[in-house]
Amino acid sequence: MTSSPATVRDATVEVTAVSKWFGQKVAVSDLSCSFGPGITGLLGPNGAGKTTLLRMVCGLLRPSDGSVTILGVDPRRQPSVYAKAALVPEEDAVYPALTARQFVRYATDLSGAPRSRVDEAITAVDLQAAADRPIAGFSKGMRQRAKVAAALVTGPDVLILDEPLNGTDPVQRAHLIDIFRRLADEGKTVIVSSHVLAEVERMADRVLAVVDGRLAAAGDVGAIRHAMADIPYRVRIEVGDTRRMAALLLETDVVSSVAVSGSTLHVETSDLADLGRLVPRMAKQVDARLTAFEPEDESLESVFRYLVHRR
Amino acid sequence: MRGFAAIVKVSLRQALGGKRVIVLGLLGLVPTLVMWLSSRNLTAGAAARRFYDAPFGILFLMVLPVCALVIGSGTMGDERRDGTLSFLLLRPMRRWVIVTAKFVAAWVASTTIVAASGLLAAITLGARSGDYAATGPIVLAVAISSAVYVAVFMLLGYLTSRAVLIGLVYVFIWESSITFAAAGLANVSLFRIGVTAYAALVPASRQPLNEVLGSLAPGAWGAMAKAVVITTLAVLALASLLRRRDALSE
Repeated sequence: MTSSPATVRDATVEVTAVSKWFGQKVAVSDLSCSFGPGITGLLGPNGAGKTTLLRMVCGLLRPSDGSVTILGVDPRRQPSVYAKAALVPEEDAVYPALTARQFVRYATDLSGAPRSRVDEAITAVDLQAAADRPIAGFSKGMRQRAKVAAALVTGPDVLILDEPLNGTDPVQRAHLIDIFRRLADEGKTVIVSSHVLAEVERMADRVLAVVDGRLAAAGDVGAIRHAMADIPYRVRIEVGDTRRMAALLLETDVVSSVAVSGSTLHVETSDLADLGRLVPRMAKQVDARLTAFEPEDESLESVFRYLVHRR
Repeated sequence: MRGFAAIVKVSLRQALGGKRVIVLGLLGLVPTLVMWLSSRNLTAGAAARRFYDAPFGILFLMVLPVCALVIGSGTMGDERRDGTLSFLLLRPMRRWVIVTAKFVAAWVASTTIVAASGLLAAITLGARSGDYAATGPIVLAVAISSAVYVAVFMLLGYLTSRAVLIGLVYVFIWESSITFAAAGLANVSLFRIGVTAYAALVPASRQPLNEVLGSLAPGAWGAMAKAVVITTLAVLALASLLRRRDALSE
């Protein structure tokens, strides 16, 4: 089961050749992957099929084809597995009339978890000050934290989070990421979907990129970048004589395109290291002052854009 | 059992909270108001007949189905619309247990409002005629019909977002018109299930009810058995739908 980067050896969640279509629209197509302990980021643009995939994993949607198991069982057939698995959905799945404490307590009652965990979960998401206020008056970020608390309180072995950081401020975001990391360190399976690449990069040990309902890439961030050896890098060069520099760059094998914008060159290259060696020499040759040489997209975002564009 | 009780508690709060309970409560005052206004200066016998002519009909043909429709259709429909269905379903509980708990809450909420309405009207009748025999049976009849209506409308509320509109058409076209016009269809009229129980328990009501509703076959146990069967089927059908169909749309 380790032959594909989309699968893991100690899988707790297995997705096998799953497809889902709504009428004529194919939301997920023949997708296979697995998830194990640690944080796996499910990455993709809006409409890529991430939410549909997570809803199938949870059993809220029935796969049109293929199968899903959580901890070895089909959640649609054996709801007892929900004692060990929890979802934080993207939508506002909260009861506005309840207070945060009542909402979290409701989750414990429904899951058969001990009520003694309620305060612990509320504290974990830093919601103590607002715990006895109705959720109706909560901001988006506070609602997100209430949902996370309601999931944490059940003590899940598998935690599935659909865009959990939406609406949270940077401090809350860092705090939630710490919680997810702590769960991962405890050996829990944490699946986090996001379209914000910096978030995934910060928290995920492993990334599955979903584009148009298909798995576009899988592995850790470095492995994905390595696999995309032919990905064109974009570099911003600030130099005195842009026109002569552009002409020289286009004569080389490593540059595929150059765009001039004032005193800036936007260069697309297949070999960043070679370009880095060539540019200072060329600047000296044309007697131009080189003030900047910066990759424009060194983050996972460039990989993602490339994957989306390539499809 | 803890999960079941928690669903009942939260669902009761949902059903009886907000402005709609005030509107339904005001609607529930209509039978009493009509009884009180229309039975002034009437003899005891005439007041009893007036009770079955107007307030009783308003209670069973308007207050009861409308309350059951609003509360029943919202029971699962609101969870689906508000996105809380996933919170409810992703629990280590059988779907039929979840649905039964939701049903119990909706039934208690609907019965509380409508039984209070019926009880007030029956007490008004008692005040005019000196006979309070209707008070107990009217609560039982409401409870029986309310169970059937709530279960059916709960299923409807899950199936369509236009449940209230469809339900109103059903109540005012089918129940209030067609089943009166075609005697053979009276057996499939939901409000009559409770009324037959009432007629069995209040013998004095049989003749006036027969005149208003056509031939009625009184029977408290039969009504209860019918209600249990219809309610159970509706609850199981909803549980089956939750298990087999997608719980959320695209």
